[in-house]
Amino acid sequence: MLKKILFRERTNVQFIFATAGALIGLTALLLSLQLILDVQSFHSNEEELFGPNSVVIQKKVTKLTTIGINSTEFMPEDLKRLREKEFITDVAPFASADFKVGISEVEGDGLPHFYADMFFQSIPNRFMDIDVDWNWNEQSEFIPIVLPRDFIMIINYGFAQSQGMNQISEDLLMAARLTIHINGNGQKTQMIGRVVGFSQKISSILVPESFLTYSNALYGNGNIQNPSRVFITTKDDSYGELEELMEEMNLDISKSAIDVAKIKTIIAVVIGIFGIASILIMLLSLLGFVQYSQLVLSKASYEIKTLLRIGYSIRQIVNTFIRQLSFTFGIITVSAVVIMLIVKYLMVNPWLEKNGINIEGSSLLIAIVTAVLCFVLFIFANYVNVKKTVRSQGNA
Amino acid sequence: MYLEFKHVMPSPLSDYPHDASSVWKAGFKLEFPKKVILNASSGKGKSTFVSTVYGLRRDYSGSIELDGDPIEDFTLDEWIELRRLRISAVFQDLQLFPELTVWDNLCLKNELTQHKKEEEMESFLEKLGIGDKKNQLCKNLSLGQQQRVAIIRSLLQPFELLLMDEPFSHLDEENAKIALELINQETDVNGGGYILTSLGSYHGFEYDYELKL
Repeated sequence: MLKKILFRERTNVQFIFATAGALIGLTALLLSLQLILDVQSFHSNEEELFGPNSVVIQKKVTKLTTIGINSTEFMPEDLKRLREKEFITDVAPFASADFKVGISEVEGDGLPHFYADMFFQSIPNRFMDIDVDWNWNEQSEFIPIVLPRDFIMIINYGFAQSQGMNQISEDLLMAARLTIHINGNGQKTQMIGRVVGFSQKISSILVPESFLTYSNALYGNGNIQNPSRVFITTKDDSYGELEELMEEMNLDISKSAIDVAKIKTIIAVVIGIFGIASILIMLLSLLGFVQYSQLVLSKASYEIKTLLRIGYSIRQIVNTFIRQLSFTFGIITVSAVVIMLIVKYLMVNPWLEKNGINIEGSSLLIAIVTAVLCFVLFIFANYVNVKKTVRSQGNA
Repeated sequence: MYLEFKHVMPSPLSDYPHDASSVWKAGFKLEFPKKVILNASSGKGKSTFVSTVYGLRRDYSGSIELDGDPIEDFTLDEWIELRRLRISAVFQDLQLFPELTVWDNLCLKNELTQHKKEEEMESFLEKLGIGDKKNQLCKNLSLGQQQRVAIIRSLLQPFELLLMDEPFSHLDEENAKIALELINQETDVNGGGYILTSLGSYHGFEYDYELKL
């Protein structure tokens, strides 16, 4: 009955604008928030191995390099320069094995017979964000190895075919043990290794730092080399500076690594702008709703005064308003969440997947909590306003 | 409940000459239950009196006390509680909801107070001769019919004091008598009293006390 009296003229232009504004604003806000979270949560396989924002840099090989005038080594002053860059948070030169390495299969582990000359490199453990035990000591059962993904491609689609060998899957390779042949400092030995992961970013064969330190001391030939590759970690969204630096120092970098960073940065910036705009729309629509309830209140001014005169409490009148507004904004909130989900799952996710960004079950919790917070904020703002207005009507 | 006026002077009336016996000058103290008539010609402040006692106006000097408490100090929430439980009113301008039916107007009040049963409300309507208007919108009723709706509404709550501002101004003698009978009956049921303002018609009613303006 109260509702009937207080909301005599419910639908008007103000109401429609406020509702549409709130719906658009909230949907846009949730959508941009969810997309930012999605993009931030996106990890390529690389990032699972090495953590986010890390790239390998090396100097470009030029004609001068080939004839020995120019060197691709990073001199101590080069490293110093890198460390001084503000957007670079970590610098780690690769360590290389100072001995000859070859690998072959362990008989009975399912791999075809093969032998290949190899090399080992390592980067500090803090860059290796890997599930298996990357620490090696003399008691360890095997040496963990990370191979470049291209390596298995070369074997399967080039080498295996030309040699009449069976192709091997990543899983099989990871399940099988390998014989590691070490030859250096006048000594030969064999050890057991096992592939524990593949990397797209680093075209090198990585082993634990502890193993390399140990074996270099034992089998090293005593050549001290400057590193030719450096692993760096950059701050978020700094691919622009990174490109500049590459230009400046004549550096080479794995393109794919930078492309993902680039896409992430661009998407984050675009969505960020979108998000700010949607917050503005939200605030405007909040104002619209406050105005709308103000309008309803002033239209119902006689009714409110009379209700207070026949004994209705302020709380009862305010609650009637808030119930009605909660209902309206509840529908808006739920609709916004539903539209957000539809856009995300039917439009944005397929587009991202098409562009090589796979989003795996990122959480909707934050977006939904935000929707609830917006709802609460909205109801609270209206509650304060309605209560104040009703009270002033009663005192008039 | 007792009501006391101490040197009360509404500001719009301060420039008029008032009789020595006027409540605006002499003040009064009344103990309810009591049936009181306030008789005065137009412009002496009858409506001002009612809305002041009902807490709707504060533009007066002096002090009004209800059970010894100055009503100037009451908060809006305290007034609302008083109006629900202890003081009822029939306003001169009735203050009905024109867009609601007669029945909805009554239910709006009774839902709040749960004071009367539906059959009682219906019998009130019958008694005052507007039983057939139950489902009509208030705005389509004549003033006299609306006045009777307002009277019935004022009886749908417990009260110690019922303030009535010319409640019979649009009723003929006969209907006024019937309405007064109902009011008397319900006042006694509630164990309360009332103040009835009138332009001078007594409707043959026997009052306990007369206030003058």
